[in-house]
Amino acid sequence: MKKPPREEPRDELTVTPPKTWAAGVPAVVHALEYSLEQTHPRQTAVDLLTMNQVGGIDCPGCAWADPAPGHRHRNEYCENGAKHINDEATTRRISAGFFREHSVSDLGRRSDMWLNQQGRLTEPMVKRPGRDHYEPISWIDAVGLLAEELKSLDTPDEAVFYTSGRVSNEAAFVLQLFARAFGTNNLPDCSNMCHESSGFALHETLGTGKGTVSLQDLHHADLIFLVGQNPGSNHPRQLSALEEAKRNGARIVAVNPLPEAGLLRFKNPQKPRGVIGGGTEIADRFLHIRPGGDLALFQALNRLLLEAEDARPGEVLDHDFVRDSTSGFEEFAEHVRETSWPDVLAATGLTRQEIEDVRDDVLGSERVVVCWAMGITQHKHGVPTIREIVNFLLLRGNLGRAGAGACPVRGHSNVQGDRTMGIWEQMPDSFLDALRDEFGFEPPRAHGLDSVDSIRAMSEGRIKVFLGVAGNFVRAAPDSAVTEEAMRRCRLTAHVSTKLNRSHTVCGRTALILPTLGRTERDHQAGGEQFVTVENSMSEVHTSRGRLKPASPLLLSEVAILCRIARRTLGDGPGHLPWEEFESDYGAIRDRVSRIVPGLHDFNRRVARPGGIRLPNPVNEGVFRTATGKALFTRNTWQPPHVPEGHLLLQTLRSHDQWNTVPYTQNDRYRGIHGSRRVVLVNPADLAALGLREKDRVDVVSVWHDDAERRAEGFEVVPYPTAPGSAAAYYPETQVLVPLDSVADISNQPTSKGILIRLERPVRPLPPAH
Amino acid sequence: MTSVEETVEVAVPVRVAYDQWTQFKSFPRFSATVRRVEQVRPAVTHWVIGRGPVCREFVTEIVEQVPDSHLVWRSLGRRPRHRGEVRFRQAGEGRTAVTVRMWMEPYGPAGLFSAVPGAAGRVLRRELANFRTYIEGFGEACGGWRGTIRGGQVRPAEAEPPRSRVPVWPVG
Repeated sequence: MKKPPREEPRDELTVTPPKTWAAGVPAVVHALEYSLEQTHPRQTAVDLLTMNQVGGIDCPGCAWADPAPGHRHRNEYCENGAKHINDEATTRRISAGFFREHSVSDLGRRSDMWLNQQGRLTEPMVKRPGRDHYEPISWIDAVGLLAEELKSLDTPDEAVFYTSGRVSNEAAFVLQLFARAFGTNNLPDCSNMCHESSGFALHETLGTGKGTVSLQDLHHADLIFLVGQNPGSNHPRQLSALEEAKRNGARIVAVNPLPEAGLLRFKNPQKPRGVIGGGTEIADRFLHIRPGGDLALFQALNRLLLEAEDARPGEVLDHDFVRDSTSGFEEFAEHVRETSWPDVLAATGLTRQEIEDVRDDVLGSERVVVCWAMGITQHKHGVPTIREIVNFLLLRGNLGRAGAGACPVRGHSNVQGDRTMGIWEQMPDSFLDALRDEFGFEPPRAHGLDSVDSIRAMSEGRIKVFLGVAGNFVRAAPDSAVTEEAMRRCRLTAHVSTKLNRSHTVCGRTALILPTLGRTERDHQAGGEQFVTVENSMSEVHTSRGRLKPASPLLLSEVAILCRIARRTLGDGPGHLPWEEFESDYGAIRDRVSRIVPGLHDFNRRVARPGGIRLPNPVNEGVFRTATGKALFTRNTWQPPHVPEGHLLLQTLRSHDQWNTVPYTQNDRYRGIHGSRRVVLVNPADLAALGLREKDRVDVVSVWHDDAERRAEGFEVVPYPTAPGSAAAYYPETQVLVPLDSVADISNQPTSKGILIRLERPVRPLPPAH
Repeated sequence: MTSVEETVEVAVPVRVAYDQWTQFKSFPRFSATVRRVEQVRPAVTHWVIGRGPVCREFVTEIVEQVPDSHLVWRSLGRRPRHRGEVRFRQAGEGRTAVTVRMWMEPYGPAGLFSAVPGAAGRVLRRELANFRTYIEGFGEACGGWRGTIRGGQVRPAEAEPPRSRVPVWPVG
């Protein structure tokens, strides 16, 4: 184990050619290297060998589904998962002395990487008004301070309760129960910023908020689209499923502005062919699309399918399905036939031949799955794009059938489960009624605030208390300067966290750090050792049991912290909710969930079975719970963004050595970037046109209607095969460029893709590291 | 592909025979070769079959299913591939003729067995006899699913089947 760094890492950029394949032996080496920097070999072995196993620890790294029990590898994890879990299981510790040494102002100047590298938080800390240092506080005082602040509010709607996707089902259920018993639906979550567009689009068109496919569907698909996603870095275990699909004969079409290594070839380190062989080619066809051109692409494909049906009546579309199970086809068909080829080619940057070739792939495939991620959802037209993908699937009956369907690929490990548990500011009355009937109080019915509206309300002084459970809200949210100012306007900010991050340094007048158990750690309560449950991207709900000794005896579980806050805020005893029982036995929480959340009946017994509970998707049962009772074809429109000369469209993205807002190193080896994260990747032709050369130093400036200056300073230019006219740079460093008001239509999701930028020569000396 | 066809007549009405057959999870109760069946969805089942040390798993898709008439399935995945159909026909008052046809692609050691002339037919005949003993012994089905499947897509018999009652609100 290495000691935590005292100094910031130096920015020393070197650039090598991008890799053309992902994983392989280097993935194993890098995972072990990072793990052993953080902890000792025995702990690393315990983590890794129980990770994603039946009865073991669910990897918090992503929400990809596990293979069925009996079909899992002994090492059922990826490089990123191994890094992530050992980043949490680190033996580095932050004590009170650390906070005496470092003021909040000092910590506020530190980088995300440096803060994360300091280790685990070990005791509750408070920053009192007017002070610049955190100091220790007992749990009883910390919880009391927060409770008193909540009780002093003029209205419960002056508080927001933020959830990140690491939070377990049990903690999420308790949090939403507390918020609603307190009197507010202000429950923003990280979903607001990642797949909100997917949820809205799927709910409207298919009557379900979740993806429709399982791992088996991917294995048995004939054709798989990977649209706006980078599985090699963000959900590497998907590559195993894609490899299996390829071995079953599937073809894969990858659609992305960057030719990511994981889209091209995968060397499975668990298989001899991946260690000493050439691996598996992933994409049979790569469409180098312009950012945001996906809607135009699918509209063009849909037009081509209609024209193919005209040429071969009865052979292309699934007429029985369209007639019996959908509505709106005629209006959709009329609309999509008017799709203009010049507009499509301009928006996508593709040739007509490339799109027609994909059409031929589709016509030769009986079963099609479309996977997508934030390359779709974070655009202004994310919802219409996903609706158009649904149109595409509906035309040939690729929904509700084995080997076919819609697959939004989620990032946070329990982001889906948290929603299932009721973490949403707009929960339907049926859920709130069930809550009322079970617990005997009337939940508020007015919709609450999502993430963007919470920031707006904090900025305007309408929110006084912010409680964040897990995550790093300040860095995950858009418009960093605005968000930070909003947080500072709060009377109290409190974070339930395992490790230090920037949200602890950008805080309200009073700030609390409430340290919690990690997913890897044993959770002993009065009722005995507990486990928690999570739901993956494919609607499988299963257990997660920590195996390690907690980082500190003073840590409380998320459930315990929330139950204690609820007790102190709302009172305890007869007539009150059973917070004490919930804290001592999470099974009591699951019993309540089983009576409130449809589909989770008999929760405790069923989730204990190997593999847990597979929540059915109504679409696969032939049920479309939409306004018409059928799947909806929709008419979608788009406007190509106006990009003035000298400007580019930016997409923010993660590096390979990063988990959400946490960079582990300054490297991104698949893209050939080493030693720095302050880089902007630009197509060489665009660089030439802009008069820039490799490693030229620039400020990235975004352009928005409000004419406010949003500037990310001190970036180095790297020529890279991004789609012409586009650029890419790392999140969260470039969140400062995303205007708060720049949101996706309908879903209100911040648009971290398709940001209009220009590159300027620096006007100021280099900024601090963060 | 090798093919095999067998018919058995059972002394129960068509509806009873059909309902019992479509309770796939109960197959291990009468079958000598089926060890476990999981009904993943109405149209997707996961089978574990075997004799002695030989064991094989596969997933099937039900392509067509019409109550009291027939169902058609096919295997998913690489190998071994097979497809089949079972038809139910009234064979007199309170009697049903159950006809199974299967087409199999021989593969691996088990494939050698299915390639032996008459071997697959004998196994199928014995399994249908087991089914007859089972359903005639009970005289009624242990459940029933009255939905329809066409082109692999489910048309449920009721507007809101129990398995569709799950959270459907948007998930971000």
